[in-house]
Amino acid sequence: MGAAMLQRNPETVMLTARVKVWDVFVRLFHWSLVAAITVAALTGFLADAAWIRWHIAAGLAAAGLVLARIVWGFGGPTYARFADFVPRPAALFEHLSEGPRHRGHNPLGGAMVLAFMAAILVLAVTGLALLGGVLKTGPLASLVSFDTGHGFGEVHELLAFALLAMVALHVAGVLLESRRSRENLAASMLTGEKEARPGDHPSRPVAANAMAAAAVMALLAAILLAANASLASRPIPRMPVATLDPVYAEECGACHMAYHPSLLPAASWQALMAGLEDHFGENASLDEETAAEIESWLLANAAGTADTKPAHVLARTAEANPFTLTETPFWKHVHGDLPEALFASKPVGSASNCAACHRDAASGLFSPFAIDVPSPTRINKETQQ
Amino acid sequence: MKAHLLILPALLMASPAFAADTSPAELLARYSAEAGTAADPARGRELFLANHSGGKPETPSCTTCHTDDPRAAGKARTGKAIDPLAPSANPERLTDSAKVEKWLGRNCDSVLGRACTPGEKADIVAWLSSL
Repeated sequence: MGAAMLQRNPETVMLTARVKVWDVFVRLFHWSLVAAITVAALTGFLADAAWIRWHIAAGLAAAGLVLARIVWGFGGPTYARFADFVPRPAALFEHLSEGPRHRGHNPLGGAMVLAFMAAILVLAVTGLALLGGVLKTGPLASLVSFDTGHGFGEVHELLAFALLAMVALHVAGVLLESRRSRENLAASMLTGEKEARPGDHPSRPVAANAMAAAAVMALLAAILLAANASLASRPIPRMPVATLDPVYAEECGACHMAYHPSLLPAASWQALMAGLEDHFGENASLDEETAAEIESWLLANAAGTADTKPAHVLARTAEANPFTLTETPFWKHVHGDLPEALFASKPVGSASNCAACHRDAASGLFSPFAIDVPSPTRINKETQQ
Repeated sequence: MKAHLLILPALLMASPAFAADTSPAELLARYSAEAGTAADPARGRELFLANHSGGKPETPSCTTCHTDDPRAAGKARTGKAIDPLAPSANPERLTDSAKVEKWLGRNCDSVLGRACTPGEKADIVAWLSSL
């Protein structure tokens, strides 16, 4: 693929041989990964829960790209292969002390490629564990508990910061090495071409085995999709009770949405049921028999019986208001940015109306995938009616 | 379409059988007999629309939640809609004695800070059924 072209230089005009270093797959991979990591980082660090779909899609895309790149590392052409760039420790030091120019990844760059691959794959796995354990969805939902998922979440976050630092190091490395070897390495990742210079570190030329690599990638994708389908069909342990007791739904749902029993710990339900004569400023007393029936059902299905995120985070109730969901530190934390006017608006009515924005409020799940805040246009329209 | 078909039986199961064990006229007769006086719809209207001070500060009047027109839907303080109280607008009203007793028991306490007398109940029922 070597092409000769003229390069102008203030003093001389010389012919430089340009060779293809980065094949089209490597270049597509690189820039697609840049896009995927950008979306994942922006949505992960800055965006709210409504963007979680984009975060997961971008993260999975990044992991998929890395897996494909690993296959290409065995089946791609010369400079795409691990054999060309997995550095020996000695080579790292040699490179630092002015070793020969590498047309493909230099030893430090090669080490960074491996670190990126490992970090992105571990980010994907910890992300899926977080998704499964905390949000009870995705392939790992049946395997990971809330607490374990939460722990994986901490690792996920730490690694995400590490990845940001690695991106900064990578960009700095590209800039430094471009200066040192007087070439534009970033442009080469676009054109795929580099100068061939005398004294370059020799690489053993290998032809790509594109068909075999594509077949392995397809097989890998099929295995992962099948594993995902099989895992996703497993029952998820300790899910909140699926149907509301009809007496509870009727009696308590008369004035407000029938809050799922897993949203409060047993002690809170007990305190609430003991004070129905003054229930949030109204008398909501029940006859003894009905009250006893409802209370025993609430206690049997209270927060302690479910492993969902609401059951864990809302269980930390406010000391002075042991059964006011909107006074819990977590509720305040996640709703703090929302304007008062939104809660007062016609489609919502009050902060007690979870279902106005959480389509799955009745189930007790409160998935970020089911959030649907009424748009300002809808609020205006309905308020004028 | 299918999902809607599934929701209907679920709703039917969720609401206990609608126990129509009485009628507005029967309730009126019963409360009047207990009170020993004839009911007066005008007194019922006055009681319903007035602001009271003996109850909970959040609910000074029946109209706090039911609005001043019992033929229209009201709204609980939570924002949840309340079906109209007048039997002319909502035939289910005043046909289930346990339900009537439950809500008068709760709401008289919330608004007045005490139970309603049989005479007051008779007046309210008389006014609501006259609308």
